[in-house]
Amino acid sequence: MAGLVPPGTAIPADASKTAHTKADEKIDYMNLPCPIPYEEIHREALMSLKPETFEGLRFDFTKGLNQKFSLSHSVLMGPTELPSQSGETIKIPTAHYEFGANFIDPNLMLIGRMLTDGRLNARVKWDLTDNLTVKANAQLTNEPHMSHCMVNFDYKGKDYRSQFQMGNAALFGASYIQSVTPHLSLGGEVFWAGQHRKSGVGYAGRYETDKMVATGQVASTGMVALSYVQKVSEKVSLATDFMYNYMSRDVTASVGYDYILRQSRLRGKIDSNGCTAAYLEERLNMGLNFILSAEIDHKKNDYKFGFGLTVG
Amino acid sequence: MAAQPRRGGISLPERRSASKPDSSIIARITSSPIVSRGKQAACDAAFVSKKLLRSTGKAAWIAGTTFLILVVPLIIEMDREQQFTELELQQASLLGAPPTAPAHP
Repeated sequence: MAGLVPPGTAIPADASKTAHTKADEKIDYMNLPCPIPYEEIHREALMSLKPETFEGLRFDFTKGLNQKFSLSHSVLMGPTELPSQSGETIKIPTAHYEFGANFIDPNLMLIGRMLTDGRLNARVKWDLTDNLTVKANAQLTNEPHMSHCMVNFDYKGKDYRSQFQMGNAALFGASYIQSVTPHLSLGGEVFWAGQHRKSGVGYAGRYETDKMVATGQVASTGMVALSYVQKVSEKVSLATDFMYNYMSRDVTASVGYDYILRQSRLRGKIDSNGCTAAYLEERLNMGLNFILSAEIDHKKNDYKFGFGLTVG
Repeated sequence: MAAQPRRGGISLPERRSASKPDSSIIARITSSPIVSRGKQAACDAAFVSKKLLRSTGKAAWIAGTTFLILVVPLIIEMDREQQFTELELQQASLLGAPPTAPAHP
């Protein structure tokens, strides 16, 4: 969250009250805080409104071998949806086991996940210096032409952030975000997709105070996304989101809540597509979490319920 | 009567044309315009009320399941949180009392 406005210039000791408050309100434009990275601009709204709902059983076990190194085992059993042309969703029960290894250092973070259906996920985050960070994300599969990889170079300045990214299908992108006042930050991005010969430009703005965060994003692909998150108390926050695609005339609005209690965390949302979802994480014991997830789509009459356990 | 264009799926069925009246009294009464209109009105009322019941049922189902998913876990969790807070308060008051008891001999 952005800090409060810092007092600007030095004031003499015998200054009157009005001069003191005026100096408090004077914003020091040379000392603005560093903004949120461009891809995380909708972070609070996404956390509340898009919980990771799943269907079936999920079991995660993370074991730390060292201070920096840990292994994780994960079992997921449940139906997965196959995209079908007829419009009817086809669900096929699948089960897989995922093995993962994490190495976490202050400067270097390596995460790898291997699934039983032959997919490999790898993520690397390397802080070269205080300001320059390299991130890489790769997903390799058995099927040909389905693997992809993306590399990001982030530079963090005093009150701005810039990022350059390259993907494997000749995908290039760059983004820049700057703090304009202590509460407002504005940014823009460009991307170019070589395979489809498409390019686009987008702009985003974010206004945050201690109690609320409002963001807006426009892109030349036709997407307009606005979101507003209000922190009603330290345990409760409400979020709402509006997404409009002016090319395909698609509108979606959703409202949700996020309750962070001591023993549990409950997120719920309802959509204008007739879709309502809830996600509950309950702490049964130290390091033992019980997860329940529910998603009901009234228009398509599609119901997804999942439960799981996370250890460690 | 010409069929009128329908809107949506909820509309009254077309009206039958009145048939020729017979000679006997009962037949004449039952085929008089008042009785036939009354019968038609009763049919329409039954049709409309069935549709209304079905749409109310559907709305109640949607409202009920949405309430179950969104609100019931919230009530349960808030109740647990309140219980937990009460327990902590109780424990704090239990543990807090002995140290403050003066130990002057």
